[in-house]
Amino acid sequence: MRHFTRLAALAAFGAVLGTGTVAQELYAPNLAYRTGPFAATGIPLMNGQRDYMTMLNARDGGIGGVAINFEECETGYSTEKGVECYEKTKGQAIVTQPWSTGITLQVLPKSNVDQIPILAPGYGFSPMADGKVFQWAFNTPASYWDAASMMLEYIGEENLKGKKVAFLHLDHPFGKEPLPLMEKKAADIGFELLPIPVGLKEMQNQSAQWLQIRRERPDYVIMWGWGAMNAGAITEAVKTRFPMDKMIGVWWAGHDADLKIVGEDGKGYKSISFSYPVLDAPLMADIQKYVVDEGKTLSNEEEMQGVFYSRGLVISMILAEGIKVAQEHAGTAEISPSDLRWGLENLNITEARLAELGMTGMVPPFQTTCANHTGHSGGWMLEWDGEKFQKVSDLLQAEAEVIAPLEAQMAAEYAAANEPWPVSACN
Amino acid sequence: MLYRTAGQFKTSYKADQALFPVKQDAILLGVILVFAWVVFPLAASEFTFQTLLIPILIYALAAMGLNILTGYAGQLSLGTAAFMGVGAYACYKMVTLMPWMNPIVAILLSGVFSAGVGVAFGIPSLRIKGFYLAIATLAAQFFLVWLFEKWAWLYNYNASGAIQVPNLEMFGVYVAGPQADSLVQYYVVLAIVSVMTMLCINLTRGTLGRTWKATRDVDIAAELIGINLMKSKLTAFMVSSYIVGVAGALFVFMWRGAAEPNLFDIPLSFRILFIAIIGGLGSILGNYLGAILIVGLPVVLGTLPAALGVPIASSMVEHINVMMVGALIIFFLIIEPHGLAQLWRLIREKLIIWPFPH
Repeated sequence: MRHFTRLAALAAFGAVLGTGTVAQELYAPNLAYRTGPFAATGIPLMNGQRDYMTMLNARDGGIGGVAINFEECETGYSTEKGVECYEKTKGQAIVTQPWSTGITLQVLPKSNVDQIPILAPGYGFSPMADGKVFQWAFNTPASYWDAASMMLEYIGEENLKGKKVAFLHLDHPFGKEPLPLMEKKAADIGFELLPIPVGLKEMQNQSAQWLQIRRERPDYVIMWGWGAMNAGAITEAVKTRFPMDKMIGVWWAGHDADLKIVGEDGKGYKSISFSYPVLDAPLMADIQKYVVDEGKTLSNEEEMQGVFYSRGLVISMILAEGIKVAQEHAGTAEISPSDLRWGLENLNITEARLAELGMTGMVPPFQTTCANHTGHSGGWMLEWDGEKFQKVSDLLQAEAEVIAPLEAQMAAEYAAANEPWPVSACN
Repeated sequence: MLYRTAGQFKTSYKADQALFPVKQDAILLGVILVFAWVVFPLAASEFTFQTLLIPILIYALAAMGLNILTGYAGQLSLGTAAFMGVGAYACYKMVTLMPWMNPIVAILLSGVFSAGVGVAFGIPSLRIKGFYLAIATLAAQFFLVWLFEKWAWLYNYNASGAIQVPNLEMFGVYVAGPQADSLVQYYVVLAIVSVMTMLCINLTRGTLGRTWKATRDVDIAAELIGINLMKSKLTAFMVSSYIVGVAGALFVFMWRGAAEPNLFDIPLSFRILFIAIIGGLGSILGNYLGAILIVGLPVVLGTLPAALGVPIASSMVEHINVMMVGALIIFFLIIEPHGLAQLWRLIREKLIIWPFPH
């Protein structure tokens, strides 16, 4: 009997201890993909995200004194695994980071039921910017429509009139995403838009698409590629001697490793981006001190200088800032998913805040509100100089007056198709 | 002891040819059904519903459809996923064009469309056999996925090119879409799968099933004894595609909630073919066993290290998982090339004669 009491006491003690440790952290899982066909582009992003959170945990003891449990759940970019991960993590998670348009589409309708914010920085559904309809989804700091608008703005209206623009895209929800905006702009400005889809099976062999490009002789090629498609398109462009300075990719098509394959021949290739690696930023020194020197990183020096790694840092910064704002508002460090939604809705990343974070120049300042879940930070045009990407433009801004009505219209269509869908008034 | 058949005398042909000539089989099935209908729904969590129970049932149904064609009628097909896609898109078009339609009726009707498409692509089977037929069905696979991508009417001109399941109500309860409860969806899937399974068991035991088996074994001999090969092969394609189409509609409407065209690409076809082969060709039970192995095992393996408290990175778990599943498939194929169903058949035989083996 005594034995039993002792055992029971031990169990009770363990339970107290157990709940104590569980409560002392915030669970912010990441649906990562370090395996599968998209791993090459996924790994640097995931490493950046992970290192930022590791650094916060080591330097500040987490956020607001609570450690962040930044566990990864492997999806391999497969929607099926993604849903499995979502179901597995949603019990304790304060956020879902779906990391694939397919998984986002799957999880998005459930967000109103499960009430966990979806954070999809720079991807997902562009109309998610409409916070009144998509109350739980965030694609901060810029959407795909922003990207398309900024690319056209960079080329310049006068250079587009009467010209032909080939839109080389992955034949997938992700690649089709900017089409409504591009079609509208093509009609407004008066250029010919030539959509050229690349099937998922043809990613690595785009000879048919580039034959078409050679035949049609477009003045510009705008590329919406991801994973193996980017390297395929860039090598094919070099092979067919398409002028590289007339080729512009979305931010997911600006991966250093894809360009390193062609090196000097890729000179002039451009990619729009909402992030930029600033290697001498104070943040990088902290990462070096608290993560790399401690041997806690999975990354390497070359990767850490790339665009994608620093984008991973920016993405984790957005989440961390959201948590911080939420903690201040809720008055407690242990926030709930709906607190975090408030936090992500009230982000105000100013130049001053970026300087405090040691991230000046790594991301443009932006601000979100209840009705605006994107923040529309704008972005920079990056150009490949043969060795790395360089910033070649001032801060570009998307045309809000064109995008906003489109967002509202598409969001309303989505809500209508998914009735009953709660729409907030955002007062 | 458990499976003692002594004393179970049959006094009529009818009794001898009954579905369960051995009483214990019926009891066992009863126990399984009680588990499926009562115990699992009461005990399962959301995670279990979404990653184990619902997908296993749907995959088993799809494999059953393929098994009718490949296992019973001997016509090799690599286009299963495309036929599932036909079912899913047909169901999507029906519920969006006719929102008043009962979702279950829509799901059952969507199979009719895939049956039609299946028969059309089954016509070459009248002239070609074996691997050559597999190539012909592969054409269906490529063509249909291409059609899902290009024919914008199919996905209601949605900008993303994907189909999204709307909230569908039935008698005041949501059965599909984001508002639907997993428990309700599980019961809908279970009911449809149960009815389909019963249908398949009876079809394969009846005249049609015997015709199919004769066609599979030696088609010339079958023709000589008066079996109409055209009828036999095309009915096999029809029934198989119907079941596969219903499975496809369930796949999207009761489980995934959204689908893009490349979901119905070859990997899914192969997955279902693996389930059918590992479970056992020419068996109904095998589809379930195969689905449990192929769908359930990775989930269990994935959650095991965390449950045991072993600190492994999730990407590592995934790598190990892929290797283990691959190794297990090879292991099962070496140990029992006729599939898990045959393994169960042997165990059952051993149990019947136990403890006095000859």
